[in-house]
This record gives sequence, C-alpha cells and structure tokens, in this order.
Amino acid sequence: MTADAPPAVRLEEITKTFGDVVANDAVDFRLERESIHALLGENGSGKTTLMNVLYGLYEQDAGTIHVDGEPRSFDSPQDAMAAGIGMIHQHFQLVEPMTVLQNVVLGHEPIDGGLVDEDAAREEIEALCNRYGFDVDDHLETPVEELDLGTRQRVEIVKSLYRGADTLILDEPTAVLTPQEVEGLLDLLEELRASGRSLIFISHKLEEVLAAADRITVLRDGHAVDTVAAADTSRQELARMMVGREVSFERPAREAVPGEPVLETEELSIVGDRGLERVSEIDLTVRAHEILGIAGVQGNGQTELIEALTGHRVPDEGRVHLRGEEITDVGRRQRLEAGIAAIPEDRNAEGLVQEYDLVKNALLGNQTVPPYANDGWLDWSAVETHAEEIIEEFDVHPPDPTARAGSLSGGNQQKFIVGREIGHDPDVLIAAHPTRGVDVGSLEFIHDRLLELREEGLGIVLISSKLDELRALADRIVVMYEGAFIDEVDPIETSDAELGLLMAGQRLEEEAERETGDRSTLGETRPEPDAEATVDRRSGGDRER
Amino acid sequence: MSDDPGRTREALDRVAARLLDASVYERVGIAVGSTGLALLIGLVVVAAAGHNPLLFAQQLVVGSVGSTGAFTRTLRFTTLFILAGVAVAVAFRAGVFNIGVQGQLVVGGIACVLSILWLAPFVPNGPVGGAGLTLVGLFAAVVAGGLYAALPGVLKAYYGANEIITTIMLNFIAIGIVGWAVDGPLRPDDARSVRTEYLPEGVGLPSLVFSDPNFSILGLGLALAVVGVVAVGMTRTSFGYDMVTSGYQASAATFSGVDPQRTIVATMTLSGMVAGLVGAVFAIMIQGYFIDPSGIGTYGFDAIAVSLLAANNPVGVVPASLLFGALESSGSHVQIHSDVPVQLIDGIVGIVVLFVAAPELFRMLAKRTGLGGEKR
Repeated sequence: MTADAPPAVRLEEITKTFGDVVANDAVDFRLERESIHALLGENGSGKTTLMNVLYGLYEQDAGTIHVDGEPRSFDSPQDAMAAGIGMIHQHFQLVEPMTVLQNVVLGHEPIDGGLVDEDAAREEIEALCNRYGFDVDDHLETPVEELDLGTRQRVEIVKSLYRGADTLILDEPTAVLTPQEVEGLLDLLEELRASGRSLIFISHKLEEVLAAADRITVLRDGHAVDTVAAADTSRQELARMMVGREVSFERPAREAVPGEPVLETEELSIVGDRGLERVSEIDLTVRAHEILGIAGVQGNGQTELIEALTGHRVPDEGRVHLRGEEITDVGRRQRLEAGIAAIPEDRNAEGLVQEYDLVKNALLGNQTVPPYANDGWLDWSAVETHAEEIIEEFDVHPPDPTARAGSLSGGNQQKFIVGREIGHDPDVLIAAHPTRGVDVGSLEFIHDRLLELREEGLGIVLISSKLDELRALADRIVVMYEGAFIDEVDPIETSDAELGLLMAGQRLEEEAERETGDRSTLGETRPEPDAEATVDRRSGGDRER
Repeated sequence: MSDDPGRTREALDRVAARLLDASVYERVGIAVGSTGLALLIGLVVVAAAGHNPLLFAQQLVVGSVGSTGAFTRTLRFTTLFILAGVAVAVAFRAGVFNIGVQGQLVVGGIACVLSILWLAPFVPNGPVGGAGLTLVGLFAAVVAGGLYAALPGVLKAYYGANEIITTIMLNFIAIGIVGWAVDGPLRPDDARSVRTEYLPEGVGLPSLVFSDPNFSILGLGLALAVVGVVAVGMTRTSFGYDMVTSGYQASAATFSGVDPQRTIVATMTLSGMVAGLVGAVFAIMIQGYFIDPSGIGTYGFDAIAVSLLAANNPVGVVPASLLFGALESSGSHVQIHSDVPVQLIDGIVGIVVLFVAAPELFRMLAKRTGLGGEKR
C-alpha cells in the first residue's frame, strides 16, 4: 500500500434525498486500499443509502463516485459489479431451494457447449475457498435453505468474490450471527484484507467496529460526523458521535431485593418439532424484582423454552407455575391476561403487523384486555390513547400513530413493542433478544426501562446472545446448553471467556471458579471472544424454522 | 431466465409497492377506471365481431336499469352477489381461501327447502306459519352452510389440508349429491323438471316495493344487514381483530394470543354461514323450490371476483355486487333482444372481471411473495 495509490473508493459530496427526507447530505467517504473501513451510525442515519448509491441501486442527487481514482457512475448493481464492487445485503439474496454451487454461479455460469459447466464452476469455487480458508466448498451440493445463516453469509461472500469483487460492502453482516459466528466473520474479513481486498462494513455495534475496522466513519442524520482510526478512539467517543450526546454505559445500582418467586418451571422437558429433545428437565425460578439472564448459543433450546413460558407450546413433561398456580396447559391468551408479557424473538414476524398502523398495532396482544376490549367489543379510542402514550413515553419516531409499523426503523419498532408489552402492567416479562438490531440510543433506552421495571417489581426473563447485555442487566445468569441449564453464574464475577466456555458446554473447573474472584473487574472490559471461538457451530436449520 | 434478474425484481418491486400503498381513493379510482376501460374494450370486440356497438351499449343500459323489470332483476342478482361476496370476503380477509361458496350455498339451499318441507305439516297455514317457516329455512341454511364450510376449516387447521383444494372438491360433492337427491328421492312424481316439492303457500319474502315475484326488498335488506354485521364485527370486535390480523400476518396474530387453528375453523364457519344464506335466498325469494344445483348460476365463483373488486372489504362488496348484478341482468336481456351471441356477452363480462379484479389479485400475490415489502 503506497501513499500515492488512489483510494479504492472515494465518494465526494454525495447527496441523496427521498421526497423531503435527506438520507445523505454531502457525504464524503474514502476507502483506502487493503483496509477495513466501518460505516457506523444509528438505524436511519444513512449508512445503507450511501452504500446503495455506491452499489448502483440508487442514483445520487449530487456528488461523484471515484473507483480507483476514476470517476464512475453506476446505473445498476451490474455496473458496480463490473467495476469490482460487491455488496452483501442484510437480507441475503440467495435462491433458497437451489444449491450453493448454483447460487454462486447464478448469472455468471461457465458455459460449455450451451450447458452449465458444473465441474469448472466447482473447481473455481474450491480454489477460491482454499485460498481464503472458507468452508463453503463442503456444502456445494446442499440447498441453501438447509444452511445456517452464518454459512449463507459466507456463500454470499464467495458469490461476490466469484464475480471478481475487489471491494466488498457488507451491510450489517453480524446482525444475524451468533457471537461465535461473528468472531469467525471478523477473522475472515482480516483474511480478505490481507489478500488485497478493500472492505466496507456497515454496523451500529461499537464493539465490533472497534475490533474489526482500521478506520471508522460515523454517520448521523445523513451527515458524516467524522472519520477516525480505530486505534485512536473509544467506545465512549464513538457513541457520542453516533448519538450526538453523551451515552452512559454505567448502570444505576439496584435498590430493591428480589421478592417472591413469580414464574417457576419444574422439570420442564420439550421434544422439538423434529422429535429431538430440545429442553430437558429445566427448573427455572424468577422472582419479583429480579432479572434472570439466560445465556447460550442460539439453537440450544431457548426458543422452545420461551414458547413454554409464554404459552405458545405445551411442554411434554414438567410444570409451569405463575405465582404458585399451575399454568402448564394454559394458552397464550390466558397467560397474557394473567400478566405474562413477552417481547418476541422476531419483531418483524411476531411483534408487529407490518401493514397496520401503530394504533392497530397497539392493540396486538391486548385485544381481549380491558380497557381496550369489553366483552368482545373493542374501544378504539382507548387503543389510540394507548398508542399515543407508548409513542410519547418511549420516544418512538416518527411520533405519528397513523404511521405504518413497517415504515419505522428497527429501533423504533422495538421501542414500540417494549412499550406495548409492558403497558398493561404485567408481573412477568419474557424478553427475548430485546435489543437485537437496535441502535445505541434505543438500546440504552430499552435497557434503562428494563431496569426500572425490575425496580417496580417485575420478574424478567432475559434471553440474549449478547454477553454485555446479560452482564449489564441480569442479576443471575444461567447458561443453557443442549436444552439444559448447565450452570448458574454471577454476572459480575464471571468473565466473558468463562461464559464462552460454558456456552460451549464445558463446565467450569473448581480452579477456574476460584480464579474469578481476582478477575471481577473484567466486567467492564470488552468481550474476549477467544474462548467463544472454540464453540462448535451448531449445524444449520435449527435456528431457521 | 432474465439475464438481469436484479432489475426485473426491482421493477416488479416498484409496481407491487405502488399497488400495496394505493390509498382507498386510488383504489376506488382504479376500480372505476378499469371497469370503464373493460367496457370500452368490450364494445370494440363487439364492433369487431360485426355488431353495432352503440346498439349493444344501449341494450346493456336498458337491460340493467331500463325498466322496472330490468331494475328489479338487477337488484335480484345484486342481492345474491352481496351475500356470496361477503362470504368470500370474510374468508379472504382472514387469509383463508374459501373457494367453496358455491357448494356451501347448494347445501344451505337444500337444507332450507327440506327443513321447510318437513316442518310444513306441523305448522298452521297462513302468513304467520309461512313467516315462521321462512325463518326456520333461513336458520337451517345458515347452520348447514356453516357446518359444510367448517369441514374444510377443520381439515386445514388440524390436518394441514389445503383449503383451496378441499373446498373445490366439496363443491363437486355437494352439487353431485344434491343433484342426485333432487332428481331422485326428493323429486315429486308429477314434476316435469328436476326439482323438489314447491314450498308451501305463505313461505317466501313479500316483494313489498316492486311487484316482481322473484325479488323482495326484504332479501336485499337481509343482505345489507349481513354486510353491516360483518363489517362491524370485523372492525369493532376482538374476534374480528383476531381474524383480520391472522389474514395480514399469521405469526404476529399467534404471538398476540390468537389460536390459529380455532380462528381458521371459525372463519370458515362464518364464511359458510353467509354462503348458506345465498342458497336460502335463492330458494325462498327466487325459485320457490330447489332445482338441480348444476343449473344454479355460478354465484359462488363470481363472488370471488366481486370480493376481489371490493378489496375484500364487506362494505365495498355492495357497489361491486351492483356492478356484477347489472352485468348479469343486462346479459340476460341482450341475449334475448339482440343478435349478439351469448358467448360474446360472457366474454365481455370476463374482460370486466379481469380488469377490475386483477389489480387486487396482484396486491394479494405481492403480499404473499413479499414484493414491494419492507424495503426502505
């Protein structure tokens, strides 16, 4: 890399508007060769729009694009690809019933005598995979729908490389990955950089960006706030640039002590949809004024456990109690009315009806609960008031109850859901990944609300794959592995490395446990994912149901 | 395969997004515009076939609203279309594709006629007895139609059988068995045509306003009342919210505590109850007995187009039914009073259906395939 070589990509004064909304306002951006450049910003700050301009999906209103020093204009992604730019979208663009091989070559099939030359394609892909240490060539004949999300993502990357991409844009690549897969991806990015590729990596997660990128450009409200070297900045500084104000990572000390148990399970076992035991003999207790964290690699039975707690699934064995009363066979609606609120794992599919406005969405889950419903009749004015209250209290943008839910950003959708779920004064909250895909500002807000709720006396079950979230919120952490709780640990006194080992199914040795006393300060440091890297990836499908 | 799949998809996406985002006014505009355009094309076709298009257009108007007789005939068809259209709309709104309205109306109709015929000997003659029997017949039709539709509902909810296939098959079963019964055990010895006994004197809906023996304003009133009940039920009750939400996004409905299986069965039952009423109104208001079901107009199928034209909105079904009723009515007029062949009339009705229903069909398809969806 010489100082004189033109940057791989240079964007000059890019402006892009949608109607009255300015998504990018004269944004400058410079991607050096052989570097990893993170584009950091909250949801809706214009990151993806800027990259879609570079990728030829949108045409900019003003400004110029330079690739390798040459001014270029792209009418379509095909043009961008021809210039060596590849983009891996947040939602993968793969044809699910087709095999990995077919997906990779799609549109660029090597032809021999009018037929697709699969052998040539296979050879070429295998060569690519060997060069970068990809495992994708193990699955060439597997239909994409059978692969887990991490592998699908690598298929996307191989697809771009196969098309000759020198510059790769990854849009929120870690949003769908487990901590272990994230680690693998970051290694892969290093590998690609070492081989001479330049990478742009869109994210709103501070840790990741600090760990992976060389340089970081922060966007806020369509403006490029600043570009900094990762080595010279901090979480605190980045968060301030992103949000535009100081963000506190400190949590207030708790005041209330845990009270009576509110939700309990007794030897709960669930046989999953494929006949495998997904949850085995789980005893769980959540008390009032307590947050119980459940840590674990996704696909270890959390989904089934959540369903048994919320009432979406009847367990095969064992019992569930709410305030001492057995509710094992009670369905979702009655549990909801009895005070078990739930933040769904998948907010797009389960949390909101995308086509409904916020008023109608405010009724979701409350359609049999007074005052919104009386003897089966709905009171829409009460619902509307409720929607307005949520919007105000949870700072939902845009503050318009008639806005379509699908038009909101992820963070605002999640704030709305959290507001709605705790709106009817529940005793228990099952919070599954409450801040997944949520920007820093909303994350802080949701965390604060969960802690407040604990002070108000709720028993909260927090299922999360983010260790820092569990650590920040939970009073106790239980680790779930292959359907069982294998250990319970103190969130302050256990390091990320130890948690990672537990999540991989290794019980901590006596020795290691004694050591933790000396390492209690680790809670504030960045996650150390080394240990997590040893966690074997659970093979696909499981989490895609 | 297109060598440019990304772009094709984008273009499709834009069209789909445009359709999905259309406002109510735009959709009314689309419906009116496409009706007009379809009729215009129909006239061109008529002209191309060597007939006088102006005369044809005039006959269409005369045949639907040109005389009291034509007008009541239009209203008679409209009544049937409203009920059948609501039956379809209820199911479609909840995401359940009930293609079996035709079979359900046949079952409802025969249940209505049989219950009246069986009970008639025990009921005094005269207006009071007649009115009582009429109510019994309507009730029997609602119950029978509901049960006949609940069957595919149960099959779908608990056994995963595709309701489109089962309802279509149940149409054949209903038409076949009722057809056999009407031609066999139920056919009186002195009947020259395939039919049941006549309904007793006094059973029926008095025409009141118009003196058409085959149309009663009470029938239309009944249909409009059903529209009102269904519309209010869908928008103002917990059950309606459950149902419509299931249609929009089943996963979100389930998470909010809706029991998806029970909702499917309930939706099908409700849809079938309304479909049963179509059969009852057909038997009581129009025929006065029951006929070979293969000879009954295809109201249950046309109702799919009616419902699509109305964007599956029960209130929208009323104007849509008026249009279909008028076309049906003028069709039978043109058939008698002009030399335009009946096939051509059916073809023109087909063009209208295609034009007016296609946008809504695309909307539903786009929703199912996720085109025009959550991109920003």
